[in-house]
Amino acid sequence: MTAAAGQWVLLSYRIPRQPSTLRITIWRKLDRLGVARLGDGLVALPADARTREQLDWIAQEIGEMGGAGTLWLASPGSLAQEQVIAEDMRRARAAEYRALIDQAQSAMRARPGERSRIAKRLQAELRRIGRRDFFPPAERDAARRAVDDLKTLVAQDAS
Amino acid sequence: MKWATRAGVHIDRAACAWLIRRRIDADAEFAFVDDPSRVPADAIPFDMRGVELGHHGGDCSFETVLRRYELTDPVLWKIAEIVHEADLDDERYDAPEAPGLDVIVRGLSMTCDDERVVELTGPLFDGLYEYHRRAFLLGRPPA
Repeated sequence: MTAAAGQWVLLSYRIPRQPSTLRITIWRKLDRLGVARLGDGLVALPADARTREQLDWIAQEIGEMGGAGTLWLASPGSLAQEQVIAEDMRRARAAEYRALIDQAQSAMRARPGERSRIAKRLQAELRRIGRRDFFPPAERDAARRAVDDLKTLVAQDAS
Repeated sequence: MKWATRAGVHIDRAACAWLIRRRIDADAEFAFVDDPSRVPADAIPFDMRGVELGHHGGDCSFETVLRRYELTDPVLWKIAEIVHEADLDDERYDAPEAPGLDVIVRGLSMTCDDERVVELTGPLFDGLYEYHRRAFLLGRPPA
């Protein structure tokens, strides 16, 4: 990590309480992006062209459903604060990678056909987690290895 | 006609610019602006927040432009699925080309300015169109 706190993009939003399906849609989208939740109706991501655009479109979508969303560019007041947020995000991704490793390891004992299906699913899941992994934890490499091991076994099943 | 979009062109804007030139306005001139307030008064904005030709109801701007101009060509809608996945990556469609296209255009936007990205991606989308046109006629991947 660099010595100075980086740029973050913040989305401040309000969503109507009803219908709850709209709230859930937005929550799922934000989860998928791997946002840091800084408070009620305030989420953040490290700023780059992609994250800024993604949150901007979500802000618009919230507006279209009768809520309000504003996008901000900001840097944390201190490096220590940024590290706390980054650490939370890293822990969240680590938990996702660990769940994936567990699934890959149990799939080693599955039937070959099922094993092949699970390997494909986990490969896609690994890519999805990677897209929202801004501060990679040690578990990332272990997860890649677990999926690779599973794929090696699948290739042996096929030969 | 003049058209305006956000600077830092990526897949959805590049695809929209191609679509506009090929199907809507052959003489289209494009302006790339840093802020929505900079859109020239005589320009039609696209792929920007708060404009008609943007993301709506889960659609990306390319899909919105197809709907708005009533373009029903199934090959364009196939390209729309690829653009949608490259832009939004929400797995609404099965588009294995999307991650590759995303990387190619993202890389171009690192080495070229917006005018050049639009210029270079034109033939890319022409090729993508031709491939999927043949696939559509054959009912299977061509060649």
